[in-house]
Amino acid sequence: MNLTEARTILRRWREENVRKSQSVVDIYETVVGPKIHKLGDEKYLVLEQVTVAAFDCHRMELARQCLGQLSNAFPGSIRVRLLHVLGLQAAENYDVAKDVLDSIIQADPTNPLPKKHEIAMFIALGKNQLAIRMLTEYLKRFMADQEAWQELSSLYLIEQDYAKAAFCAEELILHDPHSHLLHQYLAEIRYTQGGFENLELARTHYCAAIKLNPNNMRALYGLLLTVTNIIGSPKCTATKRKEATKLQTWVSKLIQNRYKNVSGNKDVKAVEGLFSSLQISSVSSSSSLSGSKSTSPRALKDKNSDSL
Amino acid sequence: MAELLLDPNIRCWVFLPIVVITFLVGIVRHYVSLLITTQKKAEITQIQDSQVMLRARALREHGKYLPKQSFLMRRHFFNNEETGYFKTQTRAAPAQNPMTDPSMLVDMLKGNVTNVLPMIIIGGWINWMFSGFVTTKVPFPLTLRFKPMLQRGVELVSLDAAWVSSASWYFLNVFGLRSIYALVLGENNAADQSKITQDQMSGAAMAMPLDPKAAFKAEWEALEICEHSWTLSNIEAELLESADFKFETAEEQNHM
Repeated sequence: MNLTEARTILRRWREENVRKSQSVVDIYETVVGPKIHKLGDEKYLVLEQVTVAAFDCHRMELARQCLGQLSNAFPGSIRVRLLHVLGLQAAENYDVAKDVLDSIIQADPTNPLPKKHEIAMFIALGKNQLAIRMLTEYLKRFMADQEAWQELSSLYLIEQDYAKAAFCAEELILHDPHSHLLHQYLAEIRYTQGGFENLELARTHYCAAIKLNPNNMRALYGLLLTVTNIIGSPKCTATKRKEATKLQTWVSKLIQNRYKNVSGNKDVKAVEGLFSSLQISSVSSSSSLSGSKSTSPRALKDKNSDSL
Repeated sequence: MAELLLDPNIRCWVFLPIVVITFLVGIVRHYVSLLITTQKKAEITQIQDSQVMLRARALREHGKYLPKQSFLMRRHFFNNEETGYFKTQTRAAPAQNPMTDPSMLVDMLKGNVTNVLPMIIIGGWINWMFSGFVTTKVPFPLTLRFKPMLQRGVELVSLDAAWVSSASWYFLNVFGLRSIYALVLGENNAADQSKITQDQMSGAAMAMPLDPKAAFKAEWEALEICEHSWTLSNIEAELLESADFKFETAEEQNHM
């Protein structure tokens, strides 16, 4: 690997926020490091990237080196001070880190980054209630910050406050209504909430997700479970039951077809057997399922979940 | 009309010096303005306002993807008569007279110092130093109307309009060198880069509304008349309709 290749690779990882800290450190130490002055102004961006990666790998000495160069070039820059904070956090000096962050926030209240750092720190420390409180305060100021809404939603999920988590998920859909993953996410929350109205909402959003991406296996299974629950619900009227049954047969066929396409005929029998047990268990013990579902929205970030 | 022949000394001592002087002054001005301009600090309320506007617009445009209750809940948050955001948040109208705002005054002064002042001084000096020369000729014929533009300082009736006087050459340089500056100083040269690193991403504040009060009122109105129709209300039937067909063909294939 020569310098140009290393440079493009680092740039791509930087732009796509890829967390390949060990590789970044390796590339820096073997290729880029000795010739860092040849990068021109990109040098500082690379140094910042390497600092973060080094902290991530607990290479404190390397990180300190890079950080020193950065603070020489930009004394007083908030971005560099945030890197210092990152170092404190890596060394588990949380109290000092919090003090420094507070002073940065006081100096420039318009900057969202230090606030996010602080909230992320509390989440990492497991102080969810405090993080939720700070995050709501933050969102009063920066209402259009999708990342923050997403984080708040997952925090509420951890605290099992599903109604509020659903609110945050709706906020995400408002900002990006054409993402099937978001619809699936909201549907999962609604399904977990339970109750006939929520099940219907879940069905609608699962359908939206499937319409946006027919290959979303997770949404297909979710729809199957939801519809089965709707059919089993005592509040369900006859016409609705009829519609739901139609939907149920359709979805189960769709899932079977997908298995057929992927693995030929031999697995389909097993899937059919799986279906029957799935349907029985989903009606009889939706509560036990909801426990396992509560962790599922994490899969939103994992786009591979629907690659089947 | 006979061709004019210009003294080569005019090329060496008038034509080229004017180009060089304007170019160097432009570069010096660039660095001076970098030195004395201060970063415009955005107020937290301004950022908040612009973010609120973003969210309200998202609600207006994409609210149809949420069930009616969720939509109404959010609109209530913005538009409610007593507690709505757009009703309770009162922002002072921006100062009508910029003279009352001292920071504005300083900004204006700085703009004058870096832009207008050098132009007057250098322009005056060039006018005084190099006045009355015919420096060059544009390679195409021009009408008489161009004479006052291209031949400032040389009021000769009989001179062809294609000839350019020294003072006009200076002005042509001042306005024409911009792309050369971009080339030399670059869009992201060293000074620029460090500025970005120093100043963080307060990009959200860039799009802040000039007068939040008026913007709030407009957004309030737009939300008020926004009709909610849930696009997902019939999605199950749509899905079945579009998919039934797909199934039958798939099954036929399987039978064959």
